[in-house]
Amino acid sequence: MMMTGWRLLAAALAVALLQIGFLSWTIIGRAAILQNGKEITLETAPVDPRDLLRGDYVRLGYTISSVPTNSITDINGRETSEEGPIYVLLKRQPDGLWTLQSASFAKPATPGSPDEAVIRGLVREGWNLGPDTSISADYGIERYYVPEGEGLAIEQGMRDEARAFRILAAVDDEGTAQIKALMDGDKKLYDEPIY
Amino acid sequence: MASYSSRVKKDVARWVEQGFIDQIAGDKIARDVEQHERRSLSFGNVLAIMAALLLAAAILVLIAANWEAIPRLVRVFALFAIMLGGYVGGAVLKNTGHPGIAEAVWIVAAATFGGAIALIGQMYHLSGDETAVILVWSIATGLAAAALQSGPLTVSAVGLGIAWLFFAGFDIWSNKEVPLSYPLLMAALWAVSLWTGSNAARHLILLSLVFFVVLLSFDYDLLNIALALAVVSAALFALAVYFPGPVERLVQLDGRFPVHCLIGFLTGMPILQVWLTDDTAAFAISAVVIIAGIVGALLLAGRESRGFRWIAYLGFTLELVIVYVILAGSMLGTAGLFLTAGVALGLVAFFIIRIEKRMNAPAIEGASA
Repeated sequence: MMMTGWRLLAAALAVALLQIGFLSWTIIGRAAILQNGKEITLETAPVDPRDLLRGDYVRLGYTISSVPTNSITDINGRETSEEGPIYVLLKRQPDGLWTLQSASFAKPATPGSPDEAVIRGLVREGWNLGPDTSISADYGIERYYVPEGEGLAIEQGMRDEARAFRILAAVDDEGTAQIKALMDGDKKLYDEPIY
Repeated sequence: MASYSSRVKKDVARWVEQGFIDQIAGDKIARDVEQHERRSLSFGNVLAIMAALLLAAAILVLIAANWEAIPRLVRVFALFAIMLGGYVGGAVLKNTGHPGIAEAVWIVAAATFGGAIALIGQMYHLSGDETAVILVWSIATGLAAAALQSGPLTVSAVGLGIAWLFFAGFDIWSNKEVPLSYPLLMAALWAVSLWTGSNAARHLILLSLVFFVVLLSFDYDLLNIALALAVVSAALFALAVYFPGPVERLVQLDGRFPVHCLIGFLTGMPILQVWLTDDTAAFAISAVVIIAGIVGALLLAGRESRGFRWIAYLGFTLELVIVYVILAGSMLGTAGLFLTAGVALGLVAFFIIRIEKRMNAPAIEGASA
C-alpha cells in the first residue's frame, strides 16, 4: 500500500503548513512579549570569565541569577529544591536597575505597581534550601547572539569592571522574559527589532 | 552482485527447463519474488540522500553563523519556502516516479525545520531549551514521516529522539535524569515505522531502548535494573524462539528480533557481573549464566542468522576478557599473561569454528535427524 497522487500531495502540503504554522506561532508569541511586555533593566554579572563567549553568543549571568534562600517566601521546610519554576518579584531602584525583592515557587499575583514586575526562572533539582545560602535560577535570557566577529569585543568589555553592562528585557504576564537590548551603561549597543 | 530476485529467476528458468515445475508455476514464483523483494537503495539514491544531508548541513551552518547581511524576516521566509518546496516538491517527485530523490528532498525539508527553530532561538536570544527543541524536532519529523509514509524520515525521527535522550540524560554540570518519557516517544515512532515499513527504524529503536535501560540502571538501581534487562531479554528471546509467527507479526523485523534480545541479555548480565566482582561466588555464577546463555541462544536461534552468531561470539569473547581481567589478571606475570591470552584466544577460535561448521551444514543434519 503506497501513498501516491493527490493524497500524497495533500499530505505534503499539510505537513509543510503545520510545521510552518508552528514556527510562525513561536515567532508571533516571542514578538508579542517584545511588543507588549513590561520593560525591565537588569544588571549583568560575569558567568565564567574564561568562557563568556561560546560560539557566536555571549553567555550572560545576572545579579538576580542567584536567589538568596532567605528571600524565598514558600520554602515550607523543604531541604532541597525540586526542578521547576521560581518567580522573582523585581522592583525598580532609583538608578533604573530592577533588583530582586522576594521570590516564591508558587506563582504570585501580577503586581499592580508600574515599578514592580515578576520574572519566571527555572530552578534545577537538588539545591540546598537551608537559610543564608542562595540557589541559582535560569531565566532563559542567559544568551546573547552577536553579529559574527563582534563577540570578543563585548566579552572583553564585560571583564572591564568599570563598565556596567545591562540588559533591557521585556516580561509578559506569565513572567517569561525576553532580551530587548544590550546596553553599555545607558547606551544601547544592540537594539533588537521585533521581528 | 546479482540481486536475489534475478538469481531466483535464473534458478526457476532452469527448473522449468528440466521439467521440475511447469511454466505457469515458474512465472508465478518469479512474479512473487519480484513483488516481495525489499527495494534496496540504489547507488544513485544513496548519493541523493548524501547530497541532501550536505545541503541540510549547509542550511544549518548558515544559520549558526548568524548571518546579519540578510534581514531576519527574509531569512525566516527563505527557510519557510525551502520547507514548503521540499515537502510538496518531494511529493511531486514521488508521484512522477523518483522516490529516491523525493526522500532526499524530504530530509532537507525536515532538517530545515530544525534550522528554523534554531534561527528563532537566535533571533530572540532564547537559552536553556535545547533539549526541548530536539524533542519538538523529533516529533515534527515523526509526523512528517507518518503523513508522507517515508522510511528515511522515520529513521531521522528516531535518530533525533536518540539525540534528545543524550542531551536530556547527560549533562556535565548538573546530574540530569534520564527522561522517563523516552519509551513513550519510541512507542509512537514504532507505530509510525510499522506504517512506513521502516525496519531500520525499529532496529534503531530496540538498540536505543537497551541503551536507555542502561542509563536508567546508572541513575536508579544498577543491580535490579540490569538484572531486569537480562531477564526480560531472555524471556522475550524465548517468546521469539517458541512463537516465531506471532512475534514476527508484532515486530516485523525479518526474524531478527532475537538479535536484540541477545544484545539486551549481553548488556544487562555483564553490568550485573562487574557489580558483583567482590563476591566471588556470585561472580562465578553470573559468568556461568552468561556462557550458558550464549551457548543456549546459539543452539536455539544461531542457525537463523549470521549476524546473531557474531553478536554471540563477541559476547563470548568479551565475557572471557571480563573473567580474565577480574579473576586472573592480577595473579599472573607478563609471560603468563601472553600465555593465557593466547590459550583463551585459541579457545574462542575453536569454539567459533566448530559452531560455524555445524550451522553451515544444516541440510545433512536435517536429513539425519
